Amino acid sequence: MDEPKTTGIQRSSTRTKRVRKKKKSQLPYGIAILLLAVIFGILLGTKNSGMPIFWITGLAFGYILQRSRFCFTASMRDPFLTGSTSVTRAVLTAFAITTIGFAAIKYGAFVKGLPIPGQSYVVPISFATAAGAFMFGVGMVIAGGCASGTLMRVGEGFTMQILSLFFFIIGSLWGAHDFGWWKLNVILKGKAVFLPDVFGWIGAVLIQLLIIALLWIAADKWEHREKLVKN
Amino acid sequence: MKEVELDCNGEACPIPLVKAENKLKEMEIGDVLIVQIDHSCAMKNVPEWARKEGHNVEIEEIDDGEWEIIIEKVK
Repeated sequence: MDEPKTTGIQRSSTRTKRVRKKKKSQLPYGIAILLLAVIFGILLGTKNSGMPIFWITGLAFGYILQRSRFCFTASMRDPFLTGSTSVTRAVLTAFAITTIGFAAIKYGAFVKGLPIPGQSYVVPISFATAAGAFMFGVGMVIAGGCASGTLMRVGEGFTMQILSLFFFIIGSLWGAHDFGWWKLNVILKGKAVFLPDVFGWIGAVLIQLLIIALLWIAADKWEHREKLVKN
Repeated sequence: MKEVELDCNGEACPIPLVKAENKLKEMEIGDVLIVQIDHSCAMKNVPEWARKEGHNVEIEEIDDGEWEIIIEKVK
């Protein structure tokens, strides 16, 4: 790459002459880290057979999150800020896929007569959900990322978000400290709903997919409405 | 033709976008705005917003994890 990348936009001469710094190949580091990751995974496997799965899914999740610039914050913020819903629709698509995946896992356990995994996450809907969502929403826009986004950007070396991570941990500890009160006074007053109990397995999946599809269509309409107004 | 540089290094996600939006409003048609960013998320939403507005956009990676978004104001 001898010449700087300039295409359509004419830029002043002083800037276009600047030569890009030649980059050192990072391939050896990449291979070394991959090897270390594999060795660590094997070591984990000797301690506990479930751990390598967590290790692999964790690494895969982080990699996909970083490479795809997937951002849960942007999915909720950009529709308001820029009118763009591409990330929103990506998140909805991911929800649709996980709906099918989780339903399959849970149904698989159900037909075999095994305890359905993850049922402890079926918790009552209450005012705490709305209060928590509001606080989390304000916080993540100010901090520049949700939990996964903050972790990912700390990994990328974005120093400001090391600060976010620090206060994220403090906030989580504070939340854990007060959780007992919320649980006793707010959460337990609500009703826990497990959709397959109400609509049956097929019905639950279909209804959830239908809601996601409606949201997807609404997001798509929102993006194009902006265009109609402007042109 | 004017060329304006906007230093957004160290600013987290929505701030580069809001700053670029405000700066571009003050500029004339044909001017070029160069937004310097080092937050990977801004590399997605700033160009997306600018393209949607109909401006010409280019992205240049000037160093590892540092980008310049070059926006030519078209309208």
